[in-house]
Amino acid sequence: MDWKNRDTVTVYSLGGAVVVMLGVVFWNYAQPEWKGYQEEFRELVTRKFGPARARQVPSGIQQIWVKELGRVDRCTTCHLGVSWQGLESAPEPYRSHPKEILDQHPVAKYGCTLCHGGQGYATDTDSAHSVSNANWGEPLLGGELGKLNLISNREALIQVNCNICHHNDRETKGADYINYAKRLVDQKGCTACHTIGKRGGTVGPNLTYIGDLAPEQLDYSRMSGKPSVFGWHVAHFKDPKQMVSETVMPNFGFGSKEAQALAMLVMSWKRTNLPMAYMPGVHIPEPQRTPEEIAKEQQMLTGEGAFFVKKTCFICHDVSSFGIESATKIGPDLAMAYSDVQSRFGRTLEDFLKAPTGTMSVVLSTQIHLTEAERDEAIAKLKVAYQKKTEQDAKNKVAKK
Amino acid sequence: MKSQTQASGVSRRSWFHKLGIGGLLAGVTGMGYAFVRALVPNVLYEEPQRFKAGTPGQFPEGATFLEDRRVFIVREQNTFHAISAVCTHLGCTVKMVTLNQPKRVAIGGREVEETREFHCPCHGSKYYGDGTNFAGPAPKPLACYRVELAPEDGQLTVNLDEPVSRSFRLTV
Amino acid sequence: MAAQNKIWRQLTWTWKPASDRDAGDSVVRNLLLHWFPAKVTIGSLSFRYSFWLGTISAVLFGVLCITGLPLMFLYVPSVERAYQSVKDIEFVVSFGWFIRALHRLAAHLMVAVVFLHMVRVFLAGAYKNGTAANQARPVNWVIGILLMLATFFLSFTGYLLPWDQLAYWAVTVGTNIASAAPLVGDKIRFLLLGGNQIEQNTLLRFYVLHCFFLPAFVLFLFMWHMWRVRKDGGLACVDKLSLEQKRQNLPPVKSKTYSLLGITKGRTVHVETALVDEDEHTVSSSPFLTRRILLVMLGTVAVICLLALLVATPLEEAANPRVTPNPAKAPWYFLWLQELVTDTTIKLGDFTINGALIGGILVPGVLIVLLAVWPWLDKSPVQAVGVWFAADRRRQNLVFLGIVLLVLALTVVGTFLRGPYWRFFWPWEAWPEMPAPF
Repeated sequence: MDWKNRDTVTVYSLGGAVVVMLGVVFWNYAQPEWKGYQEEFRELVTRKFGPARARQVPSGIQQIWVKELGRVDRCTTCHLGVSWQGLESAPEPYRSHPKEILDQHPVAKYGCTLCHGGQGYATDTDSAHSVSNANWGEPLLGGELGKLNLISNREALIQVNCNICHHNDRETKGADYINYAKRLVDQKGCTACHTIGKRGGTVGPNLTYIGDLAPEQLDYSRMSGKPSVFGWHVAHFKDPKQMVSETVMPNFGFGSKEAQALAMLVMSWKRTNLPMAYMPGVHIPEPQRTPEEIAKEQQMLTGEGAFFVKKTCFICHDVSSFGIESATKIGPDLAMAYSDVQSRFGRTLEDFLKAPTGTMSVVLSTQIHLTEAERDEAIAKLKVAYQKKTEQDAKNKVAKK
Repeated sequence: MKSQTQASGVSRRSWFHKLGIGGLLAGVTGMGYAFVRALVPNVLYEEPQRFKAGTPGQFPEGATFLEDRRVFIVREQNTFHAISAVCTHLGCTVKMVTLNQPKRVAIGGREVEETREFHCPCHGSKYYGDGTNFAGPAPKPLACYRVELAPEDGQLTVNLDEPVSRSFRLTV
Repeated sequence: MAAQNKIWRQLTWTWKPASDRDAGDSVVRNLLLHWFPAKVTIGSLSFRYSFWLGTISAVLFGVLCITGLPLMFLYVPSVERAYQSVKDIEFVVSFGWFIRALHRLAAHLMVAVVFLHMVRVFLAGAYKNGTAANQARPVNWVIGILLMLATFFLSFTGYLLPWDQLAYWAVTVGTNIASAAPLVGDKIRFLLLGGNQIEQNTLLRFYVLHCFFLPAFVLFLFMWHMWRVRKDGGLACVDKLSLEQKRQNLPPVKSKTYSLLGITKGRTVHVETALVDEDEHTVSSSPFLTRRILLVMLGTVAVICLLALLVATPLEEAANPRVTPNPAKAPWYFLWLQELVTDTTIKLGDFTINGALIGGILVPGVLIVLLAVWPWLDKSPVQAVGVWFAADRRRQNLVFLGIVLLVLALTVVGTFLRGPYWRFFWPWEAWPEMPAPF
């Protein structure tokens, strides 16, 4: 074959190769990994709950974008059963999430990776469940990593992330390793030599943000096993002098459990940009009030005049005989309303409330809505208030005399 | 004999040729499709249009305004529906006005008693409680959206991507 | 049916000319073909002469532009969002991983192929003029050098955009070497970075350079480069052929001129072809040159498609200015420089030779300048034009090849033999396991 025909054949072959490879690319497009999981989940739901529920299973990439945290989690693309009830014994990734903790940490507000780690951006299993540090800084804090680090409760590593928010708790339900570690910090007096937060000594390094230490910044030459920050801390807690020869830190005789718990605790001491609303125990200051003011408020909320507080009448009106005090006193004392309305407007109280005039007509049509029953209740209570007021006035007159 | 093989050779060549052109077109179209499809977003960094509003028990009788979603959840006894608060004129948020006395109006030939209206503060459009526009520059009634009960936790789920007719009601 | 066939033939006849006359007509009747000469020498079409490296570079540039377009819609050049947008391209955009892989592989391949193209042109003496009039191949050689530098800079600016640890520290190393230039070094670094640190300003100006100014520069230079090839009468092997023809004392052949219908006076539009026997040595551009170009195009696309399917595109952790990865390396095409900087940083007692200046600025600077002016320093006879390893150019070819191999060796050392702390590791020595959080 001369070169001219060889060229033609080569063009066809190369073209064919490109078309075949494009076919592979398009196959990957049509059948991504998560599609299989979604189909399997739909079958599971059909078997367990029926086809109607199965139709509600979403398709396509699912994304939870928590704007306040700047996190994007696509775990629910495959972990479809997380919010469902009744899938507690289903195989992963379809299993329901433990309900109690999910109720307190709703998925829409927290996402998934804030607690569990892993790569939220990913949409395939290997990348999402990343355990190595190669292309994503936050490994999945699950059983695999726990096993690698020889923790007897393999799932316990997630508690590191619990403590990033629950930093200030004395005790956090469900974080037994962290709680234990915090007790140890108290008992052993770490702050004698180390500054943790605002207090502490200066003999040892400041540990407030020690969780920010990058792996490159530690010396692993004196420890065995895989070089890791966690491993370094565990080895250091077990035998400080072995890891840092010039240290004066005493050997506290910590066993594996203590060392691991403390390592988890210190690795959670990181700088964060969490909004205050995410940190339990953070005190958002309220305006200062005296005990008398607090008592008065309690009385107004639970006493006879509670109706006028609930329906917000007290914003403008006192109801003096019930002890209801208005801060503004824009309108007259409602304790006198029963006779006042008659003398001012020449109508009964009942009439007036049904067809109010002036300011009250605006207020009762836009701001405060009274149903018929509520109107009747108001009238009845105002009658009682008036009676009480006249009795009180009479008593006062007698007392004065 | 020679002419026969020549003839079939020519048709075989043109068959290959057509295959080649076809393959080239397929390749170019495929690449082109891939690049354009890449620009159609699969996920959106936006508030999801389908969201949970709360359990039915959390909603009092009448209309509740969800400010950040610009939609009213209206409860009438045990029926729910969702009516948009976005004025159909230029998109301002309408205000709800509860009428002191129920008003009798004719909507679509029938007489209805309305207890609330929606007024737009921007250019004066007015709507009846069911969303029908009756005053101002608004060209269309307020939209209504599908409300469902989420099976997993019984919350009301509003879908702003799915408009429904004004008579739609979710009965709980 | 007949009408459709007629339209089909009208659209496609220039690509499949039915006669020699049609073939000649094709290049003046088709927009895409107007750049080609009507005929090319068979020698120019040879794979073994040029390896078609120039065409491959152009195809790769085309792939980069085409894949770059959707990427421009999807990538966000903001320090807060760049990394996230690249993750999204990888995971959530349909075909995103493929487009990104094609773009990255084409970029790395283009740097390599452009370099090899330069090596080929040197070794074949194709920067030399032949005997035809008004040739200026040395000028085209300089244009080529500029194209090569633009390619390096395009790759460097693109390297920063993912804003991961690899990107951030590679640009740190690169710009620190640049700041070693005497007098203007720090100013250059300040202008490049748009400040003192690699921050939003750096990202944005690198992005604009990468997407607009450098591609525009390359396109302009490419046009000029191609125009010069035509004006110089084609590839240098054509000159070699015409010289051989002269030696054979064949009857002279007519040279072609295209006059503007004889209207203008003075010089006509003259295509300065070398003088060869067309019947024996040339074929029509359409379809033989066009078919080979299609072949090379498809071959290049096939290779990068295959690599895109087999090789994962890296994206390391998000850029962290407070943590330097160990080791921190420049992009591979600058690793020879980084290695050179290391090797020329010599401690003599209290005094340390400034390796960044010597290895990073002076040596490459001298090399580039020498390379650019070499055609004018080359005193070899005209018979060496378009000849691979011509005897007359043996010494310069050997020296050149030696320098090229040294550069490649330094690149290999920097890539494979330098590990953590830039310590030297033989290929059989394992690198220490890098620490991780858990």
